[in-house]
Amino acid sequence: MRPRLRLVAELAGPLSLVVVVAVAGSAMSIAQQGNAINVLVTATIVVALYVFIGNSGVWSFGQISFVAVGAFAAGLLTSPTATRQTSMPTLFKFLATTQISNTESLVLAAGLGAVFSFLAGLVLMRLSGLSAGIATFAVLEITYDVLTYWDKIGPGATTLALVPVTTSMTVGAVGCGIAIVVAFAYQHTRSCRLLRASREDPVAAQGLGISVFRHRLVAFTISGGLAGFAGALFVHELGSISTGQVYIDLTFATLAMLVVGGAGSLWGAVLGGMGLGVVDAFLSNAENGVAFGSVNVTLPNGMRVVILGVLMVVVLIIAPKGVTGSREFLERFLSKRPGRAGAGNKPGGSLAGGASVADDGSQAVPSPSRTQS
Amino acid sequence: MNPLLRLDDLRVTYGRVVAVKSVTLEVNEGQAVCLVGPNGAGKSSTLLAVMGAVRSRGDVLLRGTSTRGLRPEALAHLGVAMVPEGRHLFQTMSVQDNLSLGTLARRQGKRARIDERWVTELFPIIGQFASRRAGLLSGGQQQQVAIARALLSDPDLILLDEPSLGLSPVAVDAVFEVLERIRGVGVAILLVEQRAQRAIRFCERSYVLSDGEIRLEVTGGAVEDPQAVVEAYFGR
Repeated sequence: MRPRLRLVAELAGPLSLVVVVAVAGSAMSIAQQGNAINVLVTATIVVALYVFIGNSGVWSFGQISFVAVGAFAAGLLTSPTATRQTSMPTLFKFLATTQISNTESLVLAAGLGAVFSFLAGLVLMRLSGLSAGIATFAVLEITYDVLTYWDKIGPGATTLALVPVTTSMTVGAVGCGIAIVVAFAYQHTRSCRLLRASREDPVAAQGLGISVFRHRLVAFTISGGLAGFAGALFVHELGSISTGQVYIDLTFATLAMLVVGGAGSLWGAVLGGMGLGVVDAFLSNAENGVAFGSVNVTLPNGMRVVILGVLMVVVLIIAPKGVTGSREFLERFLSKRPGRAGAGNKPGGSLAGGASVADDGSQAVPSPSRTQS
Repeated sequence: MNPLLRLDDLRVTYGRVVAVKSVTLEVNEGQAVCLVGPNGAGKSSTLLAVMGAVRSRGDVLLRGTSTRGLRPEALAHLGVAMVPEGRHLFQTMSVQDNLSLGTLARRQGKRARIDERWVTELFPIIGQFASRRAGLLSGGQQQQVAIARALLSDPDLILLDEPSLGLSPVAVDAVFEVLERIRGVGVAILLVEQRAQRAIRFCERSYVLSDGEIRLEVTGGAVEDPQAVVEAYFGR
């Protein structure tokens, strides 16, 4: 009973938070509603980051590349073709003439993010530790440069404008909910369980027959797909996009959210995304001036990132595993007491397992006939 | 008939540091073979090279077929299991979860020699501490779980790196009793040990390694010339 309850809580906690933000946001002023939508979209990006970073333990600085690809693809192909042909005359012909619906653009962005991350992952997933981090950062840099300077595939250094604004509060909440459900479902797969084992000890995992490369690649691809999807939500929220908006600042902010929430759990990713998203929205407003009663406070430009950075450092010092301790929602109360098995021991089956070693029809610990004792 | 494992002029380097200069040895089916030698002799590097965990030159042949280019996970599925130095248990997972991961590399269609019941009989602590976090066990208990986990893949060859390291004399005796049982069911053992005398007595064939080279080969478990072993051990 308790494992099932734990499973329900693990999904219900993050989804409840999405509902709370959406409902509370809807009750606010139009300007504040925009902030609430932004919080939902940002949390979707953080969930995408979590799928790879949280489960593999490999820090990637390149996931925003997939957000960028999703955002530009969705934005470009939903913007009016007439505008594209006049403002971007150098575009490839099929990009200049193809028009898709907003819903199709979300699917396309997810697909492109997944394909791009799969191709990048074929090379990157063989690396670990600092090398992996630096290599993923290189992907971000390359993507940024290609999108900024190759004007056959997009607006180049200029802003892509006139993108239909369709990410409403409902769409933002549903989009974030989809990302959470996908991340939840993935973390209960056999592949993810084995990846989590490899996170703890890659050497031992390989020695037991676990292909660390393959399971990392799966996580990287799913993460890329979700990031692309989030990119489409992002561009349809803003109505325009430039490469600078999907580059270093967004990378830093979303990683800070993941760290602060707790990179090792879905609950941590969502709570960090939402919590710091609210702080981030407040700080962005404060840079333009906010009123506390009769007092006007205006933060210097750039203070938003500084404060987020300080918050991240403080949390890393006080709670290295984030404010949730990298535990799932209510995990502390619903875990079986003796021999609680942390990270990889998600409910729903044995590690090797779960869906499991039993995937091939055998038992979790098979008992073939003994020939000798 | 091909030996189960043959290392042919194996060489392992880490950058400019040569860890293993040249190692040639054989392990036959069901046989226990050990590599003894001082720290830095190249024993662990040899095991890692067999497992495909480090790059090497020369050749590693499993049942006569080269394993060149194969990664550790592939070797595991070919019937090679390894208990690395330091046990490498998944510390935050339960003993049972650690053990269930050991079954991943079991080969379909192969007549099993080792199953959970056999392993539980061999290591009673498994039943006792199944739900306990592996990291909370004592060193000796962790070593037992590490060996049990490797055995659950039902390997043909188990590579053991210093299984007695850091254990009490009683626990060391227990480890060698376990090794005897493992050999008894026909699993070949390639053992790396610093307790040279004990290991040589236990194994059918022993190689004394020093400075990355084999200095002496001892067969039959009897040391006819102890002085020769000492000199080989210290590379004289």
